[in-house]
Amino acid sequence: MASTPHLDPASAPIIAPGHTFSSVTDKIASIVLARRTPLHWFLGFTIAFSVAQLVLLTIVRLLFWGIGSWGVTVPIGWGFDIINFVWWIGIGHAGTLISAILLLLKQEWRTSINRFAEAMTLFAVVCAAQYPLFHTGRPWIAAYWLLPYPNTMGLWPNFRSPLIWDVFAVTTYASVSAVFWYVGLIPDFATLRDRAKNKLMAMVYGIGSMGWRGSARHWHNYESAYLLLAGLATPLVVSVHTVVSFDFAVGVLPGWHATIFPPYFVAGAIYAGFAMVLTLAIPLRAWYGLKDFITDRHLDNMAKVMLATGLIVAYGYAMEAFFAWYSASSWEIFMIRNRMFGPYGHMYWALILCNVVAPNTLWVPRLRHSHAWLFFISLVVSVGMWLERYVIIVTSLHRDFLPSSWGMYQGTVWDWSFFIGTIGLFVTLLYLFVRFLPAISMFEMKTILPGARVEEHHS
Amino acid sequence: MTNATHPVPPALERMLTSTLGLGLAALAVCGLGALSSPDQFLRSYLFAFFFWVSVPIGSLGLLMLQHLTGGRWGALLRRFFEAWSRTLPAAFVLFLPVLLGYAKIYPWAHPPADDKIIAHKALYLNGTAWAGRAIFFFALWSLFAWLFSKWSAEQDRDGLTPGLSSRFQALAGGGLVTLVLTVTFASIDWGMSLNPHWFSTIYGVIYLVGAVLATMAVCIVVLSRMAHEEPFLHVMRKDTVHDLGKLLFAFNMLWAYMNLSQFLIIWSGNLPEEIPYYLARINGAWGALGLFVVLFHFVVPYAILLSRDVKRTLRLLAPMAAWLLLMRLVDTYWTLGPDLAGHHGSEAAAFHLHWMDVLAPVGLGALFVHLFLRQLKSRPLVPQHEAELQTEAAHAAPAHA
Repeated sequence: MASTPHLDPASAPIIAPGHTFSSVTDKIASIVLARRTPLHWFLGFTIAFSVAQLVLLTIVRLLFWGIGSWGVTVPIGWGFDIINFVWWIGIGHAGTLISAILLLLKQEWRTSINRFAEAMTLFAVVCAAQYPLFHTGRPWIAAYWLLPYPNTMGLWPNFRSPLIWDVFAVTTYASVSAVFWYVGLIPDFATLRDRAKNKLMAMVYGIGSMGWRGSARHWHNYESAYLLLAGLATPLVVSVHTVVSFDFAVGVLPGWHATIFPPYFVAGAIYAGFAMVLTLAIPLRAWYGLKDFITDRHLDNMAKVMLATGLIVAYGYAMEAFFAWYSASSWEIFMIRNRMFGPYGHMYWALILCNVVAPNTLWVPRLRHSHAWLFFISLVVSVGMWLERYVIIVTSLHRDFLPSSWGMYQGTVWDWSFFIGTIGLFVTLLYLFVRFLPAISMFEMKTILPGARVEEHHS
Repeated sequence: MTNATHPVPPALERMLTSTLGLGLAALAVCGLGALSSPDQFLRSYLFAFFFWVSVPIGSLGLLMLQHLTGGRWGALLRRFFEAWSRTLPAAFVLFLPVLLGYAKIYPWAHPPADDKIIAHKALYLNGTAWAGRAIFFFALWSLFAWLFSKWSAEQDRDGLTPGLSSRFQALAGGGLVTLVLTVTFASIDWGMSLNPHWFSTIYGVIYLVGAVLATMAVCIVVLSRMAHEEPFLHVMRKDTVHDLGKLLFAFNMLWAYMNLSQFLIIWSGNLPEEIPYYLARINGAWGALGLFVVLFHFVVPYAILLSRDVKRTLRLLAPMAAWLLLMRLVDTYWTLGPDLAGHHGSEAAAFHLHWMDVLAPVGLGALFVHLFLRQLKSRPLVPQHEAELQTEAAHAAPAHA
């Protein structure tokens, strides 16, 4: 996949030259409408779907056995469930950022990556939702504990707890992202309906298109609805991970209670999200021949966003370390020492290597433009962001104020199976998405073609 | 450089004299005040300086940012950012009273013998290290400002060559990282260490966001004074004004977000080493001032700036920007005031607005604006050979059509 482009990707066009309105539609729709499913799709799907079965297996075991099958213990009451929840929620953020904020910022290059980034957001939220749901041990009654409803016993959730804010933040996020994604799909559903090769497909896509005929009135309503949804989704990019950071920062535990947490968590989420978009985009464009649409310029821009957010995250680490010393508080000083040189020290330094050292290689244009290297770094960052949550959660909990209740934590085989299972679930959903829905927005791609530009002449 | 092609608007020429007069007069009166109460003079002066120096700092940040992101708004304001950033060497001279009199305002300079917390920080908070860092910060920032302006002059002369463009990008990328770190530590040194027992990891970010907000506000106000004259008449467009309005709006929301984060986390934690900071600021008269800041720095401007018309019309946007600049000053007073008054955590800090707290920002502000205008005068008011401003200007309707 490595290539040495002759042009500077930063100034390259965002769609390869030579495309017309129909060639764009042909190219993208053909992936969905092809009669024959490529062999590599079946292969990948089978593997992913098999791995996803681990989720079911773990849940069955969990419901029979209880959460004792996990490694959580006193004093580490939050383990893989919250680490993986935060990891997945973070990954979802790039989708919302790309679809909403970059739209409002008039960044046209977002057009070819927003559809699958939004899909990725939804699937990541699906994976994330498993953890808080099942960590209750009794998910069928969890709704009573989480959702405020007037009940005869006058029991309410604790509104001062950020965990309750999380319920609202994440459900809002999931629903707005789903609506945004679906609304964006409507005109493309109509295209697929019109091009469908059999009655069944025409019907299914026809229902999805909600009677879209592409009239001027449709487009007018559509544009304003889409813009309004983008406006609604924008605060969610910031709010969800801010609330997630409050889950920790509002407490008084050293290592959690830090005022830098909200912006640094949001940057970390975008960082992880762009890493995942790159992890998906680089193979996708190669396998499906989409290099004309997801160009070198896109990869270059995403690499730069990843570098910038990675630097913000590094700033967060630096501030945590400096202020632990500056605070002169023995708890804070112990916490940072324990984090760096305690029993989990290797995790901390691995995190620094993955999240701070590795992405800084992207300053070098040659490395940034090498797709193999970029793909590698995007995987490294995903690992690094998982390690970050592990380090924050475990090292802060395992040795708190009272040495008599210190302990160690390790995920059990069931912790790992749940985690690996959700990765399988995520990839399964992506495979289904690529096969049945257009992975790139067809109608939006046409708006960035040179032919779509209407020249204004003032006479 | 000559500016024969772009003569400075007469309004600017007049302001050059009036700001110098006002600045010198106000600071001279403050100087008289210093004779009777030197400590109060230093406190008021530090407050004024901490606020005004945020504009050249924010300008340097936005200058680097716009070299990285591009965009018409940045090209339009680049000369403002450059001129503000070139006031940094002079800002160092204006910093000298603080540098020489620091021992009178910072409690860590004469800590009580039994204060273990300050003793722990002595390695960082001591006069030599503190002064050394300040000199280093100003030298580094001035170097950045000098390089950007020098290369910008090269662009005026020879056009934007690929080599020049990549030099801009490289310096902006590395510079932004350095700037964020140095400004963080400068804000700790000059602001946070007024209360050497207190700490907050988001402090540097809050100061940075405040700095870019103040910069944006100042630049919008200055732009509104010249928008009807060349060269701006030619390159101004309504959608660029809209972008400036959106940036002002966004920076103000960011400011609120950072402050809410700090407040909520410290208030919920309610830890003895942190909460005194807010106890001194949410009770009594300081509390009333804090509420005023919440309402008139954020809530009301937020509601007004939601309007598309306000963001797009310079005539409406400029008063909003001027108001936000004033609110930045009030917020800086609320942030530093209780500590300057020596109230580190008593529940109800006495509120006493000294006349020098008003006159020092006026004098220092006038001097800073004078320095800025002098720098602005020395070059064409918009960058030459700038693709962002030229290609589109040809077929666009002017903003005030």
